[in-house]
Amino acid sequence: MPQTVPVPNAIVLENVVKTFKKTSRRKEFTTLKSELVRLLTFQKERHEPAHTIPALTGVDLVIPRGKTVAIVGRNGSGKSTLLKLITGIYSATSGKLEVNGRISALLELGAGFHPDFTGRENILINGIILGMSRAELKDRIEAIIEFAELGDFIDEPVRTYSSGMFMRLAFAVATHVDPDILIIDEILSVGDEHFQRKSQEKMNEFRRSGRTIVLVTHSLSTVESWCDAAVWIDGGKVRMYGEPRDIIAEYRRAIAAAEAEATKTGHSALSMPGLALPGTNQVDTPDVSGVKLTAVRLRSGEGEPPEVFAPSGPLQVMLDWAAPRPIDVEVTVDVLGGDGRLVFSASHAAGELSGTGTLQLRLARLGLGEGTWEVVAAVKAKGLPPGPPVRVGLKVGPDGTAAGLLRPELTWVRSDE
Amino acid sequence: MIRNLRELYQYRALLWALTLRELKARYRASVLGFLWTFLNPTLNMVVYVVVFGVINRTSIERYPFFLFCGLLPWIFFSTSVLGGTTSVSDRRDLLTKVRFPAQVLPATVVLTNLLNFLLSLPLLFLLGAAYGDWPTWHLVYLPLVLVLQVFFTLAVTYFLSALNVAFRDLQHVVANLVQMLFFLTPVLWTLDTIGDVERFGVTLTAAQARDVMTFGNPMAGIMNAWRDIFFLHRVPAWQPLAEVALLSLVLLWLASGVFERRREEFAELV
Repeated sequence: MPQTVPVPNAIVLENVVKTFKKTSRRKEFTTLKSELVRLLTFQKERHEPAHTIPALTGVDLVIPRGKTVAIVGRNGSGKSTLLKLITGIYSATSGKLEVNGRISALLELGAGFHPDFTGRENILINGIILGMSRAELKDRIEAIIEFAELGDFIDEPVRTYSSGMFMRLAFAVATHVDPDILIIDEILSVGDEHFQRKSQEKMNEFRRSGRTIVLVTHSLSTVESWCDAAVWIDGGKVRMYGEPRDIIAEYRRAIAAAEAEATKTGHSALSMPGLALPGTNQVDTPDVSGVKLTAVRLRSGEGEPPEVFAPSGPLQVMLDWAAPRPIDVEVTVDVLGGDGRLVFSASHAAGELSGTGTLQLRLARLGLGEGTWEVVAAVKAKGLPPGPPVRVGLKVGPDGTAAGLLRPELTWVRSDE
Repeated sequence: MIRNLRELYQYRALLWALTLRELKARYRASVLGFLWTFLNPTLNMVVYVVVFGVINRTSIERYPFFLFCGLLPWIFFSTSVLGGTTSVSDRRDLLTKVRFPAQVLPATVVLTNLLNFLLSLPLLFLLGAAYGDWPTWHLVYLPLVLVLQVFFTLAVTYFLSALNVAFRDLQHVVANLVQMLFFLTPVLWTLDTIGDVERFGVTLTAAQARDVMTFGNPMAGIMNAWRDIFFLHRVPAWQPLAEVALLSLVLLWLASGVFERRREEFAELV
């Protein structure tokens, strides 16, 4: 029966296990002869646990079509192995793996580039290596050249390129493959500021057109600002899968816990590559923290809050809190940039709170430039661990006469001689 | 084997692109460039002509032409096998980063050398013409012999390239084995020079010894066929070719089986 309904899931993994054979064994050698005999008799290979390294120990993962999913985890946790399995470069030791759609992997930029060939020639070869057909390449080569912004260098041998030019060309080819599923391994920071913005835009285009993206990255701000979901791989398993925000918070907490353990005992999971991080205590229940933020609202003066705030207008951050019993509370409000950088942080000892109520932080003048910012509010009772932060987006509109991150109060003075 | 070849066909664009790249890269940045396609075998021939035609005078007529008829296909075979052995193990950059059927790599080497061989054929005809020897209708057998040699070469290359990933010792052994096979194959000499054998308690008549040399070595059968077509202008004997055909098919089936089985490990081992 012909299937007319598109498969909803781009990638489905069921209990996928991957073990690597140790290639350097002591006192025991695979010889050419023994291997030949094994081959010719078509014997199955023996997998002895002592000679294998487990990379993934049972991964269950479903990545829905059209979603951008980040894979986070520390070095050696199995992220890249997972990507290579999805891409089909490695084959799973056991388990089921299903990939629906044309897949393109940007695991390394410029795979198969030949230094003696010109940029144009390398586009043709690299494009075919990445799975484009000759006709597709013919259609897209001009777009690729234009995107790479190499000018006359496109007809020079690649070995004469600066590393930035090389990466730009490679990135340009890779992103023009036009796959259903894009697999990216830590390559988003290519080129200078201008080119980075351009590649971000290209990625956004991918997302908007309903393509599935799976990326491995250590830039947690990218994960947060950019992905629909995040997977935390730890010790060869999926440790958490869900909202980027939750995953990042938990991941950071685990690393902090491991670091704390390291300072206490001198060793921790952090010093062992690939070892799982220690567990974290759940600290976000109101019973433990004593006080809780029930809502965070943004206002600009009287009336309904605007969709977009004016750079020079006022801002009120309204913090609705709930404290079951009287408790001394400290409040923190952070404003973060789109890249996760802290713009400013304001703390305040609110004194003893009890029941429910609202705290207000007033800014007479917002002073931020056009863009999307994030307000992160948290409350902490004295002597207790902090509660989970509440995050709210803050959109600031354009200002006709000024641009940039900040919008200070400006006065122009003219004094003619 | 069928799957192996079908995948190769599916990825023909990649195969072709890599082959062209190989051909272009080979002579890039050299002054004479593409002329080396002709110069290399010619210089090779000159060396052998000096050794066997001048110093150690051979009785074979038109020896340079005779030599060239065998040397060109031999170079096709030996460079394919030598280059093919390391074709997979040398391409970590591709194998660990991009997904594609790995047999494209050894096939690229064979195809590259095949094109080189075909491009150097005019030189052979030119040399023949210099001796007043023009190609005859026996050229119709050329495609047949060519296909057989391609299959045989491909099989050997698959086998060696797959094994060399795990056992790099192989690439050092292969060079010597190929050289040995070169002297066992009638490239510099003809089977007619073999006489009765009476050595190590084995007694063979000249005819028997020739059969052993022909049927024991597939390249001998192929080599004789080339010489029949280009030099002696006669229909190649079918028995050795039938043997090569059968052997090539069995070998290719085996080799693609081995290749298939090992393929999963390539990305991990290179």
